[in-house]
Amino acid sequence: MDDSENTASLNSNLDRRTLLTAMGVAGLTTAPLLSRGMMSEAEAAGQTINFTAWEYQPDTIKSLVASWSTKTKNKVNISFIPNVGYTAGIQARQRGGKPADVFYNFAYNSQKFVNQKWAADLRGLPGADKMVADMFPSARSRFVAENGAIVSAPYFSAVHMLQYNKKMVAAAGFSSTPNSLQETYDQCKKIKANGVASPYVAYWVKDFVEEYLHVYLLAGNVQPFDKKGNPIFMDDPKTLDVLDWWQAMYKDGMTPKSVLTDDPGKHTTSIANGDAAFYALHHYFLRDIVESKGSASADIAQAKIVGTGGKTLQMGEVIQMGGKVTGAKKAAAWDFMKTYGYKDAGGQFTTFQKWAASGALCAPYPGFFTDPKVIAAFPKYMDLSLIKDTFQNSSDIVPARTLPWYQGFQAQCGTIIHDLLLGNSNARATANALAIACKTAKSGSGL
Amino acid sequence: MVKGRKSKRSVSNRRFGFYLALPAILVLLILLAIPAIITVFQSFFVVPADGVGIGTFTRVDNYLFLFKNEIFWATCLRSILFAGIFIIGSTVIGLAGALLLNEKFVGRIFLRGLLVLPWACPWLIVGIIWKWFLDGSIGLFNGVLLRLHLISDYKDFLSDPNWALLMTALASTWRQSCLVALLLLAGLQTLPRDIWDAASVDGAGIFQRFRHITLPWLRPALTVVTVLNVIYGLMQFDVIFAMTQGGPGSSTTLLSYLIYRQFFIFTNFGVGSALAVALAIIALVGGLITVKTLYRKIEL
Repeated sequence: MDDSENTASLNSNLDRRTLLTAMGVAGLTTAPLLSRGMMSEAEAAGQTINFTAWEYQPDTIKSLVASWSTKTKNKVNISFIPNVGYTAGIQARQRGGKPADVFYNFAYNSQKFVNQKWAADLRGLPGADKMVADMFPSARSRFVAENGAIVSAPYFSAVHMLQYNKKMVAAAGFSSTPNSLQETYDQCKKIKANGVASPYVAYWVKDFVEEYLHVYLLAGNVQPFDKKGNPIFMDDPKTLDVLDWWQAMYKDGMTPKSVLTDDPGKHTTSIANGDAAFYALHHYFLRDIVESKGSASADIAQAKIVGTGGKTLQMGEVIQMGGKVTGAKKAAAWDFMKTYGYKDAGGQFTTFQKWAASGALCAPYPGFFTDPKVIAAFPKYMDLSLIKDTFQNSSDIVPARTLPWYQGFQAQCGTIIHDLLLGNSNARATANALAIACKTAKSGSGL
Repeated sequence: MVKGRKSKRSVSNRRFGFYLALPAILVLLILLAIPAIITVFQSFFVVPADGVGIGTFTRVDNYLFLFKNEIFWATCLRSILFAGIFIIGSTVIGLAGALLLNEKFVGRIFLRGLLVLPWACPWLIVGIIWKWFLDGSIGLFNGVLLRLHLISDYKDFLSDPNWALLMTALASTWRQSCLVALLLLAGLQTLPRDIWDAASVDGAGIFQRFRHITLPWLRPALTVVTVLNVIYGLMQFDVIFAMTQGGPGSSTTLLSYLIYRQFFIFTNFGVGSALAVALAIIALVGGLITVKTLYRKIEL
């Protein structure tokens, strides 16, 4: 998506929202501030926030929470749900009457949760507009719905990158990493001929392969959805080329056959031990590869998925506020969310500095990448300027991924893509099946 | 005693039995019966995801949606196939284990104790263990098959749609067969040794004794384990979720996994409830067929 177009459309969203907010404030200047949950800091102290997160670095989460708690004199009850089954867990709590006040969520759930009143629209909360305005233009539509609702704040952001073995690429006679999907295949073929049985690994399990659909469509210069979230990939002839490529990568043995069920840990081990040359996944996996100190870890570097030849997927997960939080608790919860997903009261990216240090996770703010503490915290073997450039200029978040119906499409995607890779389908039939899956997901009639 | 008149003692005994069972009945009502009734009720509605209100009454539309969908029928067949492998595997392996552990040998008590270990593993852990066991690069399963010269190279069973269902059924069978063995062993322990010895003296061979003495004696226990196997086999979710998430493709997508998707991904609680009712009916029919086929009262 072109940044200038994105900026123009989202700026108009911001202008509309700002105008509406101004009108609302003007019309309600005599209304008690309590009714909007906009209380002073002093009034918001002494609250107990129920916070639910998944189990990634629980000690880091606890330290972040403790720090905020101490400063604001509010208490936070943290509960952890395993990442696997997190959506089921959080939904069960919502329907069971024990919703969290602030919780992690997958971006693809975020608008659905707001629509179902499980999560709050953050519009009008102090600093919400500034938080969005401070983001990369390419990132905003993950957090802002088409109707202007601010559905979430960032938990972390990442871009799909290509982790690669420098020595293997050089030994195969290539001076750079691939600049197109076809070059990816060609380099894999040569490296395979040099003795690496399965040069390319990626996380193509059924429940996750939908991300790769966008990674590869964007790499092939295909726009998957239009601005309104309508699928347009099937109208682009390049889609068939991408799907043919994808099928060939699996069928021709460029990937291990087990790539359809393997976990990321296995791929990390594989590339770290010199059993793979390329690993396409989120940028922060480079840290796992290098720090696993495998026999080939020191040879692993990072590049864009297809270099200058296309874009990649910018992904990220979010934090949301519970839909039933009101009054003083709402003010406290929002203050917590701002600290966790934006800046602390002192204007620092404190939370993201910690995530950068502990996990090489990023944030969707340009200021994050120029923050001296973030630069110091990031591992030296990671090229932060490359990652920033990818965020800013070479990635797309595919806004349709946060639409309320999208998860239904995502659930069907895995079966369709696996059928393609296993040879049970072809590119045209797959494109058609994906289009039908969008249609059934939108109508709520998927099975 | 006058015929037809129940003795005070027998009525009192029955009442006492009822009172003893009452706490368990209440727990079952609260934890099972009430949610089941709610599920059946929900299956006739479009249920709002936020839980506010009952939703819109749709009569049998949710069921019609399922019956018109080929994915539903394909998944039903797959679930029945999975359950079939699971039932046969668990029963045969469990019976073999029970027969073995009923014999006297050194270490019998230790092995009997080991039987409990797989059964003590939660289903999800069983799935995780077996996923690594079946790994196509380093899995022990492949290693054993290779050394037995049954395969020439390591194989990615879980990525092969022709093998994935069988392997997930095998993982489930591994755990369930231990329960079957324990229950059947208990039954074997009550078999009077005299009958067995008398048959041997009369010239009956080992297979004849097994067929005419052991199996009939185990019939009630076999009925119980088969009914349990039918239920566990059709309801299996955790192992599938841990090992394959219903893939590759849809080769291990069972009805239980479709229910999960409807509730937690599509948040379509009405259709999910209809799927749950359909699965319950299939399990009920399977259980009834089992009881009808296998159960006969032992003549005392």
